Amino acid sequence: MHGRKAYELVKEFADGEKGHLKIFNNELFERVIEECNEHHNALQSLIRKMQEEGLEVQTARNAEHYGALIHHLSLIRNKRCLMAYVYNRAEIIRELAWKVGLLHELPGEIQEKFSDSEEQYFKDHSKSLKSYMSQLSLDVNVDMVPPKDPYIKVRVLEDLGSGIILSDKSANFARHSMHFLKRTDAEQYIARGLMEELTG
Amino acid sequence: MANYYNIDDILAEEEFVPVVFHKAANGVIIDPSSETNSVEQGAKVELPLWLAQDLYLRQAISISVPACFNQRTRLEIQADAACVDLKSRSPYFYEFGCKIAPLVGDKTIEILLLSAFKIRYKEILTKAYTAAYTTASKFLTLLTKEESNLYEAAQVSMSAFKKWRMGGPRLQRASVLGRKRRSFE
Repeated sequence: MHGRKAYELVKEFADGEKGHLKIFNNELFERVIEECNEHHNALQSLIRKMQEEGLEVQTARNAEHYGALIHHLSLIRNKRCLMAYVYNRAEIIRELAWKVGLLHELPGEIQEKFSDSEEQYFKDHSKSLKSYMSQLSLDVNVDMVPPKDPYIKVRVLEDLGSGIILSDKSANFARHSMHFLKRTDAEQYIARGLMEELTG
Repeated sequence: MANYYNIDDILAEEEFVPVVFHKAANGVIIDPSSETNSVEQGAKVELPLWLAQDLYLRQAISISVPACFNQRTRLEIQADAACVDLKSRSPYFYEFGCKIAPLVGDKTIEILLLSAFKIRYKEILTKAYTAAYTTASKFLTLLTKEESNLYEAAQVSMSAFKKWRMGGPRLQRASVLGRKRRSFE
């Protein structure tokens, strides 16, 4: 039935948790493209039939015309579903690059969900963000609300090793250690879940 | 064309509508009851909305009111709109109704949708702010996609307000990274 596979692809994307990616469904994607080719072939054979009968293709309205029309509409529909699938995934990838990926590698479990071109897209997007920020010599990725206190207390959640160089000192980030860091330094680690802020 | 990439719009257009073909069509396998791969004039078929819309504009078919707007649903909505299980009729009840109304020429659909939405909207907001988790989950199964989005938005704004009131850590782990898994060491 026309457009069902494309519908499945879009539904799979919609059923996922909002803002999170599932692994790129290459198989279903290829099947939809195959279906598009089938529709295209059927369309061409119907048009050939009309030409053999000597009818003017643009204006004749016989049964072949409507059959060709249905194939054409199914093709457009499949295209729309494929485009929406890729577009919405790219939106999530941009979000990831902005929030997490600027200087660092993504956790492996997220990385394996990308397709090859999506990986490239992620890298290129991070690179252009970085070059933009370095040209401005301004980090636009930090919290937009000016804080009351430029320093915050954090607890390290995972072992990050020693001798990490921050903007004003070097620190030793062993697990469960507490530090008093500059807000802008701590932000990148908190966003990646490696530290947590301590309030109160 | 602002909805071209919109996932909800695409899914809403996949709903089936009953149509009657005015013109025959060859070379397509749409009618499951015909032996040849063609559709005859006067055949009654269920088509997805995206196909039906375009064929209607080219005057090849006529569309009749889909099953989810039948008399039974209307009576239920008139009785008590807040308890009707619209999700089982169609998870895109309102969007579907809005798209169908000009194609079918039924003026009463608009009034039906509006009255149902008004009553349910009130219910959604009150439940989002006050209901405990157990009662709420049964209610959630009755909601269409659009209504669930409203419900979640209400809950998010409520928790944001509470957080502002109590104070809390401002910097958070990025939500795109997903839920934290406990590390076993």
